[in-house]
Amino acid sequence: MATTTTNNPAGAQGSDAHAFIVHRREKSTRKSVLLGDKVANWVITVGGLLVIVAVITIMLFLVSVALPLADGGEVREHRVHKLATRKPVAWLNADEYTTVTIRVAADGAVSAFHIPTGTFISSDQLDVAVAATAVAGVVNLDQVAFGFADGTIRFGNFGFDIRVLTTAMLPSGRDPLNERDSMALGTVFREMPTGDFRAVTPRWTLDAPQQISEHPIVAMDYRVGGTVERPTRSFATVDAAGVARVSRAVIQRNLMTGAETVRLTSSTLPTLPEGTVVTRVLMSSTADRVIVATDHGTLYRYDVRDFDNPVLAETTRAFDSDIAITSMDFLNAEHAMVVGGSNGAVDVFFRLEQPEAGTTDGYQLVRARSHENQGSPIVGIAIAQRKKALATLGEDGSVWVRYSTADRTLFRFQRDSDPATEAAMILMPRMDGVLLVDREGNVDAWEYYMPHPETTLQSIFGKLWYEGYPEPTYTWQSSSGTDVFEPKYSLIPLIFGTIKATVYALLFAVPIALLGAIYTSEFLHRRVRASVKPVMEMMESLPTVVLGFVAALVLAPIVEEWIAAVILSFVSIPMGLMLGAYAWQMLPAPLALRLGGIPKFLTMMAAILIFGFVAYRLGPGFERALFYGDFKAWVNGDVGTGMPFLFLVGFPLSFMGVAWGFGRLFGHQWRMKLRHVPRDTAGRWDFGRWAIFLVMAGMLSWAIAGLLTLAGYDPRGGFIDTYSQRNALVVGFVMGFAVIPNIYTLAEDALNSVPSHLRAASLAAGATPWQTAMWVILPVAASGVFSAVMIGMGRAVGETMIVVMAAGNTPVLDWNVFSGLRTLSANIAVELPEAVKDGTLYRTLFLAALTLFIMTFVINTLAELVRQRFRKRAFQL
Amino acid sequence: MATTADSGNIKTQDAAVPRYGVRKYSADLSAVGEPWLWGLGGALALGIILVAGFLTMIFWNGASTFWPKPIEVVTLADGSVVAGEPRRSGIYRVGDALRETLSSEALAMVDANEGLATRVLYRSANFDLYGDDFRWVSEYQVQDVERPTDFYLLERQEWGPFVGRIVGVTLDGRTRDVATFGFGELKKIQGDARARFREIRRIEQKDIGAVNYYMERERLALRKVQLRHGPDSGQYRAKEAEVSARIDEMQTEFAAYQAQIVEIRARDRLDTVLLEEVGGRQKEQLLSEIVRLYPANDLGFLQKVGVYLSRWAEFLTSEPREANTEGGVLPAIFGTVAMTLIMVVIVAPFGVITALYLREYAKQGRIVSIVRVSVNNLAGVPSIVFGVFGLGFFAYTMGVRVDQLFYAERLPNPTFGTGGILWASLTLALLTVPVVIVAAEEALSAVPRSMREGSLACGASKWQTIRRVVLPRAMPGIMTGLILAMARGAGEVAPLMLVGVVKLAPMLPVDTFYPFVHLERSFMHLGFHIFDVGFQSRNSEAGKPMVYVTTMLLLFLIVAMNSSAIYIRNRLKRKFAVGQF
Repeated sequence: MATTTTNNPAGAQGSDAHAFIVHRREKSTRKSVLLGDKVANWVITVGGLLVIVAVITIMLFLVSVALPLADGGEVREHRVHKLATRKPVAWLNADEYTTVTIRVAADGAVSAFHIPTGTFISSDQLDVAVAATAVAGVVNLDQVAFGFADGTIRFGNFGFDIRVLTTAMLPSGRDPLNERDSMALGTVFREMPTGDFRAVTPRWTLDAPQQISEHPIVAMDYRVGGTVERPTRSFATVDAAGVARVSRAVIQRNLMTGAETVRLTSSTLPTLPEGTVVTRVLMSSTADRVIVATDHGTLYRYDVRDFDNPVLAETTRAFDSDIAITSMDFLNAEHAMVVGGSNGAVDVFFRLEQPEAGTTDGYQLVRARSHENQGSPIVGIAIAQRKKALATLGEDGSVWVRYSTADRTLFRFQRDSDPATEAAMILMPRMDGVLLVDREGNVDAWEYYMPHPETTLQSIFGKLWYEGYPEPTYTWQSSSGTDVFEPKYSLIPLIFGTIKATVYALLFAVPIALLGAIYTSEFLHRRVRASVKPVMEMMESLPTVVLGFVAALVLAPIVEEWIAAVILSFVSIPMGLMLGAYAWQMLPAPLALRLGGIPKFLTMMAAILIFGFVAYRLGPGFERALFYGDFKAWVNGDVGTGMPFLFLVGFPLSFMGVAWGFGRLFGHQWRMKLRHVPRDTAGRWDFGRWAIFLVMAGMLSWAIAGLLTLAGYDPRGGFIDTYSQRNALVVGFVMGFAVIPNIYTLAEDALNSVPSHLRAASLAAGATPWQTAMWVILPVAASGVFSAVMIGMGRAVGETMIVVMAAGNTPVLDWNVFSGLRTLSANIAVELPEAVKDGTLYRTLFLAALTLFIMTFVINTLAELVRQRFRKRAFQL
Repeated sequence: MATTADSGNIKTQDAAVPRYGVRKYSADLSAVGEPWLWGLGGALALGIILVAGFLTMIFWNGASTFWPKPIEVVTLADGSVVAGEPRRSGIYRVGDALRETLSSEALAMVDANEGLATRVLYRSANFDLYGDDFRWVSEYQVQDVERPTDFYLLERQEWGPFVGRIVGVTLDGRTRDVATFGFGELKKIQGDARARFREIRRIEQKDIGAVNYYMERERLALRKVQLRHGPDSGQYRAKEAEVSARIDEMQTEFAAYQAQIVEIRARDRLDTVLLEEVGGRQKEQLLSEIVRLYPANDLGFLQKVGVYLSRWAEFLTSEPREANTEGGVLPAIFGTVAMTLIMVVIVAPFGVITALYLREYAKQGRIVSIVRVSVNNLAGVPSIVFGVFGLGFFAYTMGVRVDQLFYAERLPNPTFGTGGILWASLTLALLTVPVVIVAAEEALSAVPRSMREGSLACGASKWQTIRRVVLPRAMPGIMTGLILAMARGAGEVAPLMLVGVVKLAPMLPVDTFYPFVHLERSFMHLGFHIFDVGFQSRNSEAGKPMVYVTTMLLLFLIVAMNSSAIYIRNRLKRKFAVGQF
């Protein structure tokens, strides 16, 4: 320890009893020094451990934000009360804030109640001659149409006026309802967190009857379309005689008098088979399709695009013939249809375009999902106004709240009232509750909290069948212009994009970085190395936004314009280097030795530049010769066959094959033969051998490509396909450029730290530098080099700006090198600034960040383990 | 070694010694592996070429951007005329649809060039008249190109540049003879008018800005009293009276400044020039709204240098205009530097303490290896993840708490509860701390053990030894680490996009109002400026020159920081090489 100066006077006396006692001093360390030491000790220890805290905090925080996605939700309250009316419920509506409900009875009695307490607010008796026999309304529940036993229908509106009032505007003499609400003059006032009040007033109107049929209406559906000035009301009715009609009412508002004139046109649908009992009828709001459900599980779909001439487009079976369709409705946005059966089944059908199905309009109803069976006939379905949720009411009194897209049952409630009494049910507009009222006046009101009903493990990492899609897919699409849009949060396309970008980047970076590192550490001239290494290190901290800008605004247009030259350069530059090498072998040995340092390296550079230029000059001709003059048209599959590309890919492979075959068969003899000629002659012979190989490889590759094309194989559609300007090739190239310095410096360090006695021993034993590098240095450094690649991979996985700018940000799932991609990181950067805090998108993006964190954590930890192994091994040698 | 054996052979060969015999021991060609060596070397050469090409391209484009370019007036075959600065040229394939519209001569030209055509991009400017800034002109369209000396390039406060002639000058409301105004005179009257513009700017920003700021502060003070004592309390009424009196006072001040501005503006409207574009359309232009003007084809070399330097000066010292695509980047430079400095203040103690812990205090064991794994992982976590963490944890969790405690009067407008320079700096500090830790550790381990032991032997305590002996010795190494961290931090953009960088910050994070440093404010950043101008401006072509220059500036900053770090490190190595004992 440091505090060695605290002497023990007694001990000193004891040991040196006879020594100089004259200079005895009180030797003790000052308190402040001791204290400082202690404080420093404490602060530094705590500070040092802060790094662990930081990493753990980051991870736990990401988890804590993402975790509520898996929240199963909770039931806040189940209230039961009894209303003072006893009449069959025809229609229910509730306001946005779950304050007031309007209950309409079949005989026209209307009453409004306070939802939390069941207190009566106001009532009215509408002038209705006969009881309603059918009822239907639009999805926000305000606009309703009633069908009556005398064959008439009437439109009604049962909604709410909502205003925000300041304290000063409140009327006096309010009756308190509960701690937040009070009531006066048929209006409920609710205090808001800001201190203002929200006033909710129920209101209703009922229009004059319209004669539709001579028979009682048994089933109907009602939609509102058109514009605000010229609304169109469409409805489909089925009467007791089994006649189904579609009707359209165009309302014209007289601007002067404000009076409305209603023009009603009807059209009879083709008759159903004799004896069909219609249980439900459904119509789209554009009034171009009507679906009729029967008690034998059959669905009849009518095509009403030609209003005067409806056609029965399709007859399909929802259930077996012994199962009745007891309820049916469209999910919000009308792309999907929910069908409830008397066996408790709840199935969802999509109308998909399937020309081969044989229907008259080319569409077909397809069963997309079978939700969990409720175990008792489904007597009611309530649809959410915004998301794809629904509540199903079973005959046994069970109320299940489901989320359709995620195929998930959110809550299972049980009615408190007698299940046998007929009841109406609605799902609250904000999807935070269910209200059920029966004819005896019993009310069940459930209030629940479910922040993210649409996310499940399946929706994030699996395939889901979204509306409008022909099959289940992995899709990321978080926002769109339309209101009825359903966000799709699958991380799979993003993870795939990350992997794709990484793979293409590493395909480019790893060879250059590793080969360059080997050359630097084993062959490069000392002086060149002294300047190359720092430059590469500096490139490590190059801002990637700069690279992204260059990639997107400079490189992408150039690559697009010169794509043929770029592809050609992949062949021409290696070829140029080989040419240089074989030419170099022909140099007389003393000259080669003298030029072996910097001049040789400069020649290599020159070879690359020259052959790059050759590719640039030959590009257009090459494009004409192999790709019919237009690479983009070719890659699109518009012209030609896949042969040219197969030839290009096959060429290096064939070359390797030819060289390998020769080496196996005649390699030894060839080497022996070359030994017996002077070096420059050997060089010439070897050059000749190389040239012959090239020709042979060309012929071989051409033959193989021809055969493959004859066999019907075409590479287009896989790794190469339609060209877009911002594509994986550009991203791979530039991101590769970004990770080259990382891999290069780490690999070079690993190669350099191989003990030099190994190198010396190998050279002394007669190995050439090439043999030493290949068979001695590289194997020793292999694990270090591998860890360098892993670290480069970690960097590529997390790289953001380059991908944001140059990748086109299209979340697609294909390996096409000419198409764009979207990575996890780019997705976060693009979408998080706009995400609402604690919303589903926000949390999903945190999950994306967590995924990224885990991916890099695994890669880095692996690299670290490998590196430690390497260190241990290098020290042992 | 094989090569020496080889060269030995050659010598013997020259001396006409019998050929066979010795050669048996020479290495054959495959052992030398020449083609393989070329593969290795080629990879390195390719890497160097890429790096060099990249840097050259940035430097060339950045450095040449501000050089005044000539204005060419191109007469096209169809009789129309285009005037503008030639920007760049390219080759393109003439499509079938286009071919049908071409005349036979043009077709012949295209066909002679294998179906390709050359085209030049002209910056025709005059966005207010044309609705477009740029125009491609194909080679086969061109009939005649000339460079008339009376064409001026005007850079304007709004609408971007103007290319055309000056056909009228009105000074002080009176029309003057244009012929008497050469470049020098025009420059002078423009300078005078510009001074008035700057005066208006100064009043608007400094004086009116201050009044607004103080008024807002009074309102917040009142709200604070209301929150603490309630709206019915006596304190609130007293404060209300006080505040309204002060605000009235400031309102009069405000009105006075407004009047001043109105006055200058009225004077300003009397000085105009009449411009005429190449097609003959005219436009009246306020002189004070002209930032710079010069006759592009009638400039001497020194005048060109003058324009070049004045553009650089504007770039480095003024605020951006035209949605960041023109003007300067001073706020961005300021934001980058301020953010980096705050980051260093945070990261330095954190990094050094961790390094001290690892090197001097911790017993090597499990905890140390966990710390090391943590450091490595912190270094490997993608920067965007730090951004996500910064937004969620610093801004939305800590910041919201800070707001509730200290800035309740500003709610629901967030103060610290949203992105800002403090959170950005903290986020980047987390991101760069591994760099500092690694460098500081290296520096600490380079301090010879003997020095430590000497100090301890002299009776110094452990902390005294570290503070007086070890740390001073390790300081250059630690500085290297800090500079590297700054270089890394200054170039990072992705996390900043989430935690407080904005396209255009109305107020700098440091100003003359108490408390002078406003850590909650959002800021501009050079890296984000590149992203914004290159990708989110109305016309990426118009912004490109700006992007190149900004890129060059950012690269320069980072290269300078890195080079100084490398320099310090090398010096340090040399010093220790001698100083070891």
